Amino acid sequence: MSLLDFARGPAIHWALIILVAGTIWRLLGVLVLTRGADLSRPRDAFGNFKGYRTVFSRAWPSGEFTTATRYQTGMAYVFHIATLIVVIGIVPHIEFITGLTGASWPGLPNAAGVAFGIIALASLLALILRRIAKPAVYCSNWGDYFAWFVMAAPLVTGLMAFAHIGPRYETMLAIHILSVALLFAWFPFGKLMHSFWFIFSRAQSGVAYAHKGVRI
Amino acid sequence: MAKETTLGDLLRSQGVSRRAFLQFCTTTATMMALPAAVIPSMARALEQARRPSVIWLSFQECTGCTEALLRSHAPSIESLIFDFISLDYHHTLQAASGDAAEKAREQAMHEHAGEYLLLVDGSIPTLKGTSTIAGINNLDMLMEGAAGAAAILAVGTCAAYGGLPKAAPNPTGARSVEELITDKPIVNLPGCPPIPLAITGVIAHYLTMGALPEVDHLKRPLAFYGENVHDRCYRRPFYDRGLFAETFDDEGARKGWCLYKLGCKAPETYNACATIKWNQGVSFPIQSGHGCIGCSEPNFWDKGGIYDSVPMAQFGSGPKIAVAGAVGVVAGAGAALLARTKKHKKEAELHADE
Amino acid sequence: MSTTATTAPIFPSFEQVVQGFAGQIGQLREMAPKPTLSDAVRVRRAIDTLIAETNADEAVWLESCIRCGQCTTACHYFQATGETKYAPMRKMNLYRKVYQREIGPFRWWYQLVTREVKLKDLEELQELVYDSCSECGRCTMVCPMGIDTASLVHHQRSALVAAELVPPELAALRMEQKHAGTVFGASADSLRKMVDTIREKAGVIIPLDKERAEIMVLSSAVDLVGNGNGLLATAKVMNHLGVDWTVCSDGFESANFGLLSGDMSLWKKQVDPIVAAAQRIGAKMLVIAECGHAYPALRWNPMLKSDDLPFEMMYMSEYLGRQAKAGKLKLTPLKGKITYHDPCKTGRRGGAFEEPRAVLKAMDADFVEMPANKEYNWCCGGGAGIFLLERATRLRDESFKIKMEQVNITGAETVVVSCASCRLNFEAGRVKNHWDRKVESLVELVAEHLIEDPRTVPINPAQGVSA
Repeated sequence: MSLLDFARGPAIHWALIILVAGTIWRLLGVLVLTRGADLSRPRDAFGNFKGYRTVFSRAWPSGEFTTATRYQTGMAYVFHIATLIVVIGIVPHIEFITGLTGASWPGLPNAAGVAFGIIALASLLALILRRIAKPAVYCSNWGDYFAWFVMAAPLVTGLMAFAHIGPRYETMLAIHILSVALLFAWFPFGKLMHSFWFIFSRAQSGVAYAHKGVRI
Repeated sequence: MAKETTLGDLLRSQGVSRRAFLQFCTTTATMMALPAAVIPSMARALEQARRPSVIWLSFQECTGCTEALLRSHAPSIESLIFDFISLDYHHTLQAASGDAAEKAREQAMHEHAGEYLLLVDGSIPTLKGTSTIAGINNLDMLMEGAAGAAAILAVGTCAAYGGLPKAAPNPTGARSVEELITDKPIVNLPGCPPIPLAITGVIAHYLTMGALPEVDHLKRPLAFYGENVHDRCYRRPFYDRGLFAETFDDEGARKGWCLYKLGCKAPETYNACATIKWNQGVSFPIQSGHGCIGCSEPNFWDKGGIYDSVPMAQFGSGPKIAVAGAVGVVAGAGAALLARTKKHKKEAELHADE
Repeated sequence: MSTTATTAPIFPSFEQVVQGFAGQIGQLREMAPKPTLSDAVRVRRAIDTLIAETNADEAVWLESCIRCGQCTTACHYFQATGETKYAPMRKMNLYRKVYQREIGPFRWWYQLVTREVKLKDLEELQELVYDSCSECGRCTMVCPMGIDTASLVHHQRSALVAAELVPPELAALRMEQKHAGTVFGASADSLRKMVDTIREKAGVIIPLDKERAEIMVLSSAVDLVGNGNGLLATAKVMNHLGVDWTVCSDGFESANFGLLSGDMSLWKKQVDPIVAAAQRIGAKMLVIAECGHAYPALRWNPMLKSDDLPFEMMYMSEYLGRQAKAGKLKLTPLKGKITYHDPCKTGRRGGAFEEPRAVLKAMDADFVEMPANKEYNWCCGGGAGIFLLERATRLRDESFKIKMEQVNITGAETVVVSCASCRLNFEAGRVKNHWDRKVESLVELVAEHLIEDPRTVPINPAQGVSA
């Protein structure tokens, strides 16, 4: 079995199994816990529902915090959007998803894919450099760096595979797929899960504060 | 078949002009990435080369490799090389049969011990009695032939990597040459079939340089297998622009767009199809509208569907992922319910403490 | 404090009260109880408390942090010191560790790879959840995940209560309130004496222990052991409004050291008599004195099903604001530029933003907002009991500079607060920094600017009963 066969076969296969099982495990393991009840009377009878808007409103920090957060928020948006475009926009990825789900859609030209890949990588670098430069602000633990690594690795290896830098294409493709397998397998266990938690976390706080008539 | 005739004599007797011969030498030298200065010496060496003895063993194969070499629409220089070499044994091509044929083989092996080239097509079954020639198991015949060979050329994917016979579930226990022979120089010339020039080119190289050409990690001559078909494909610009044929009869297919989505394996296939092409450079599979199936790569038959594109993962996803999801649900909900019990117990304990 | 001096010269000024408190707080440290349980039991109880208090909400918040660092600069303690240990996200680390080891979905794994919590870890936690977090919730406003760090900190305070690791000042007050039912010795007798003093010295009648009343008003220890000005001002205002009100000697204390220390059972124990008294007298309204944390202790008490109660609960500023909006408060104009400080507990974590501003508007004040106001207001640095902690003096002083800067930007001469704790902290900071601004309590300010209608006479207790 070649490395590519391993990557495209058992590696990605098990990674997906871990991804699905682990993600559901962690989500349910938290969400099925008891719900605390706030028995106090809400400020407005139906005001608590307004709290759900925090899920959306927190997408951008309030003007009050602009100075402190604009670099990071901006970079984080660039990273998330560019990565999303790369993940769902370039043809090999669409083919991968098609192979998995059957769904298909038109892809981007390679030049655009490469451009977004580079933008994503650059923003990721910008974020980690800031994290390293300001240890007092970030209180980073190894999980932060590892999450960064598993996110950066597919971007780097994908770009390398495309540009035919380093090992032969099929080896590089195998390494790329393996790096994605690592990302999938790590996803349920680290902070990457914030892609789910943010909804619940924001909603909870939004509702808790809306209960008191405070819009956050 | 006069044994002492030189190649030059032979070619002249066949009416091949010196210009055509030099052109062959130039093409061969270029293909094999040899410096231009080599061409005159190559021509000289080839002209004066004595007929080397070649034993061609065919095992579990379809004769496609031989056909590809011989059934070109007009006699080619490549096929003439075969006229030149002393093909002492090739059970498809030789006139002799039965005992006489086997005698010829034994004689060649004996007379040219340590000097002859052994060409093998087809994979070798390790299950005894699966495939025999003149009552001899393929494996035994290979071992016997390899013992006295100067070098072995594994022609075609079956010989080089096991090919179709070795595909799962491999009922004959098929093996490639290199899996069985470890003490001889081996060059793999995979392809189903391999490009004829790759076969003759390696022989020409061997005759002129007295050595086998430089090979990659899969023992393929870099000169023919050094480049990715995708990188040399004339449809590559469409790939870069994101223009793909989605089906074999859509507008993209008619316009000659990239066949990546139709399962073309060119990005992971190393061969000279896109540059040398087939039938005197007329065409190659992608040009004819079908994706590359990656036939020059090991185990290509077992790497998923011919029409599954390169990035598709190779597994039947649905049920297993669903099982994984179910495991997640049980484990997650179970963990949470146990935690609830624990929490209530602690609440009661703390309450009792007060 | 010339204003108070003119109206009630018999009572000490708030500045003197602050100085008096400093002495009392010093005694608290000596009174603090010593741990009685073994280390192992203390740790076990802390962990069990966290397990018992963790619901899905807390779990989600603990799971959500991505250490993006944005909460750091939103926190006044980090902003003032720049010390990484005061970063809000670090204040939930120990809680997360316990959660991951005890009830998280992957607890079996975390039990293998993380070390168990030691008493030393809890001792280190003390500074993070008491000294350096006023549970003001400002970090929640910036957190991209919206994590409510303040509530996570509060659960950890509960755990430290169980581990007998409450800082000495709070521990002493908690024990006092738990066993004697008083704070700083402010008993029902102190209340009666104060009511008498106010009637004798200021001529203002406070209806104490009326059998029936529409409105029940709370007081606070700060007032009773301090200067009484708050109660006096409250009485003036209530009398001005001409409402049927009373103060109950069996349920007058706003301060709740159950909530402040994190002792949930004491929290409940303190609330019950107040609710019982309000129900007994048939009150329709409970007005909570200007004591910030009393608002969440009563109005937002998650253990108290307030829909079932026959009365409403309002903070003093809220009540005054409603009256002002209804045009019932007749006030003389306020001179000079002023600004308003939203106490964390009534503002961001209470929602009473508009009412105090409505009061100031009714006084026709030249009102200026601070750059960061309402939901984004900077904490004064003394909330959630931190004003009482001697060890937190540096943190309090440094973070107060942010608040001073905010006030200075407005150019206001006076900053109005509506929380005794904030006011104590402001006053201490004002003196320490020789700050040339005035700090006023909202209710006292209103009391000073009432236009007394000669026809309105204070309701006497007897009338109140018959009504």
